[in-house]
Amino acid sequence: MIIRRRTKGIRTCLLVGLCVLTFTLRARPQERFRKSPPIPDPLQELRLPLIESVTLSNGLTLAVARKASSPLLSLQLVIQAGESDSRPDLPGTASLTANMIGRGTDLLSAGEIEERIEAFGGEFAASVSLDVTVFTFNVLEENLDKALEILSTIVLKASFPDGQMDTVKRTVYYELFEREKDPEFVARRQLFRMLFKGHPYQTSIFNEDVIKKVGRVDILAFYDRFYRPNNALLVIAGNMNLSTASRKISHFFNTWTARRIDHPIHPSPAPNDKEQVAFIDLPQAKDATIFLGNVIFPATSSDYFPFIVLNQLLGGTMGSRLFMNLRESKGYASYAFSGADFFKSCGVFWVRAKVTPEVIRDSVQEILKEIGPAAVERASSFEIEQAKSFLIGNFPLKNEPLTSFSLEVARIKTFNLGEDHWNKYYENIILVNLERVLATAQRFLQLRPAVVIVGNKDLIADDLREFDTVDIYDISGNLRSTINKGVEK
Amino acid sequence: MSLKKSAAWLVLAFLSCPLGRLNAQEQAPPKGLDFPLIQYKLKNGLHVILSEDESLPLVSVVVAYGVGPIREQPGKSGLAYLMENLMFQGSENISPMQHINYVQRIGGEFNANTAFDKSFFYQTVPSNQLALVLWLESDRMGSLSVTGVNVERAKETLMAEQRQRRSAEPYLESFFLFDEILFPDFVYGHPLPGTEEDLRNITEEDVRSFYRTYYVPNNAVLCITGSLNVLRTKELIARYFETIPPGNDVPDPPAPKLVEGSPLRDSQLRESLAPSPAFHFGYRINQLQTGEYYSLRILDILMFRGKGSRLYKRLVKKERVALHLSGGIEERRGLRAFKVFTISNNPVMSELSRKAIVSEMGKLKTTLVSEAELAKAKDLFKMDYLGRLSTSLLKALFLSEAFLSGNRLEDLAAEYAKYLKVTPVTIVSLANRLFTPENAFTLSLITK
Repeated sequence: MIIRRRTKGIRTCLLVGLCVLTFTLRARPQERFRKSPPIPDPLQELRLPLIESVTLSNGLTLAVARKASSPLLSLQLVIQAGESDSRPDLPGTASLTANMIGRGTDLLSAGEIEERIEAFGGEFAASVSLDVTVFTFNVLEENLDKALEILSTIVLKASFPDGQMDTVKRTVYYELFEREKDPEFVARRQLFRMLFKGHPYQTSIFNEDVIKKVGRVDILAFYDRFYRPNNALLVIAGNMNLSTASRKISHFFNTWTARRIDHPIHPSPAPNDKEQVAFIDLPQAKDATIFLGNVIFPATSSDYFPFIVLNQLLGGTMGSRLFMNLRESKGYASYAFSGADFFKSCGVFWVRAKVTPEVIRDSVQEILKEIGPAAVERASSFEIEQAKSFLIGNFPLKNEPLTSFSLEVARIKTFNLGEDHWNKYYENIILVNLERVLATAQRFLQLRPAVVIVGNKDLIADDLREFDTVDIYDISGNLRSTINKGVEK
Repeated sequence: MSLKKSAAWLVLAFLSCPLGRLNAQEQAPPKGLDFPLIQYKLKNGLHVILSEDESLPLVSVVVAYGVGPIREQPGKSGLAYLMENLMFQGSENISPMQHINYVQRIGGEFNANTAFDKSFFYQTVPSNQLALVLWLESDRMGSLSVTGVNVERAKETLMAEQRQRRSAEPYLESFFLFDEILFPDFVYGHPLPGTEEDLRNITEEDVRSFYRTYYVPNNAVLCITGSLNVLRTKELIARYFETIPPGNDVPDPPAPKLVEGSPLRDSQLRESLAPSPAFHFGYRINQLQTGEYYSLRILDILMFRGKGSRLYKRLVKKERVALHLSGGIEERRGLRAFKVFTISNNPVMSELSRKAIVSEMGKLKTTLVSEAELAKAKDLFKMDYLGRLSTSLLKALFLSEAFLSGNRLEDLAAEYAKYLKVTPVTIVSLANRLFTPENAFTLSLITK
């Protein structure tokens, strides 16, 4: 099927090419070399800065990746605790704790902290994922000391003032509320709910209503337990060497006291192995959003590189199979992509697509066909080389912005991916071949993924009846009804 | 800037010098501005800028043309924006959309954008694929495919996009209207995407003529930054671009017809579908005196940049009269405007927002900015300015933009220093000269 489509594509190109020859605005004969794309030069070596690290006396790990030409510095303070570390009955605690950092210390109010950061043009942000909390600071090199001073103050001396609690809870509540207007966000969250059911990662999936349950005492407990130097990593990217950084960090963070942290690494959740189709009604949605996926391995696995090549082949970009089939060939979708998120315990492979409501079932079937091992078996070495070429070319682009670079360093250190993950990226990709991709597909794409559909029920109710069974959930993840063989109960 | 002279059949002597190192007695340029720079011109007038940076194996290529809505005629608005789309619809050796496929297949990224008087086409790719991008860019510079079919298709796409934007962004129309008030002649004031009626009127011949006139090497700059071998790069540039014939001399765009005052000083838009009351406030800035530009940029940061800016602090944080606030200095080839836009909960809050803005503008004229506030604004300026040079693509866009704006790239470090020399006195005197009642305009949106 793929080969047939390709042939058709080439014929189309030739026809269009003939038309182009007729109408182009060139008034002179062209040189021969213009008729075809040039042969690339040999691939240039990728020389990434070394990641140097040291553990300070209080257990804080410092990692420095030097970019000597950069006048800016990017700092990431990573706390090795995320939403999955919130108590199961108090989801959202990690997010609220992170958002309360910078909202007051014993000596400084939230406004004063904001003004101090603004006073040297600093940019500060916090983000929380399943496993970690990350505070990011971007500053001019000349303002590093000021940034470290305020960062250490707001983290080490956070007072979590009562007055700020309501503000922060309101902000987090409305941010979540706003995000729930996005069908992709709703669909992704439901997929993760289904995949992580019964696993500690389930705690990280919550809706805005639970925010009000979290009190100051819960935040203090979370902070006291996890915000410890021996549970943290500080990354500095920019024109900085390890010895200077180490001296400065010791100066500003030496009063941070370590404590033994009982922090078990969660086992990987079991992959989904049954047919599950979930639907969430989002009345304002014009199209249907499909989000489907399954649990895979964590990024430390030796399957990582073959899998990212596989993902690229399937749905990494507009030239990948899913997009070419669902949008360009079938005309079902405005887009269709695949990707993978990696956490400490596992990864999740997913496909996302926005399709017209009438073809939901056909779209899901096409996606399942495209990501099944049988389809992957038809892959040619040429396709694999194309996918590798994209990944090799895109890697330096992706990591060129200083913040992205710094975050990648933080990711490598946080997930213990090892130096080779970074330094030997090209080799790791080049060594992937068709056999390894097929073996990876056999291992991880055999089981049926969970499927989530989000759309306006009034528009797509009839189309949903084409599935054998569809569970209908509300936006909070509560099962409301089930359509079985076309009958809703 | 005029590119007329750039059509000269002279290859200018190569200028190969790190920025700011022209004079040995000058201070070394600050970090971030100390990159190498090579400039020269091809026989066909194409200006070339090269800047080498070996840190990652990638290159960014920008081809920018001195064309934008400023070159459009009445009744044909939207032509430059339409051309942005058509530049991806194929050329003599590249079929429609293949440009995108070629770049994406190798992990590269691409984009284009149209500004008021400039159009940028750009991509970042692995450094070993530089020749591919030069092949692609030279093909569409030398032999764009313009057919009735692809022109009509591009027009339909843009019209659909515009309809969608107008329905999704209820305040959009008011921005266009306020621009027409602040920039009162057609050439400087009409909307960049054009009107649906004008787009319909654009013919295949209009497109051909616009392309032949403005998308020519003598109206363009080619900027390549990143990991490049200078000799090899020059060879490739010569191979792909040197035989593209120059176009006719590109005339300067018409000078703006300056209008003193306007019957539209305080306007209202009553039939707005906007969900909340809003208003635009602005000053027309016709001419700046020597050195005032630097103060204006720092003033822009003081008033608008971030949550610590004066207007945000007053309207959103302190008095809470505005739900949304945006604005800044807008430049249209020598013409400038200071623009503020706010959305409020109700007409009373909207009026309070207006009063707060007027009050803040008044403070600028009567009270010297403190040294601490000025230092903060300069740090933010440094972050923004150096941030615009922090990746190979941003640097290439920055250099192309600076060149097409008529700036001497060799002087960037000296220019940078001038921003840092702005004083409280230069700001207060600038505010007094520019922000007068005669130059002020408002447009209120009254909800149904």
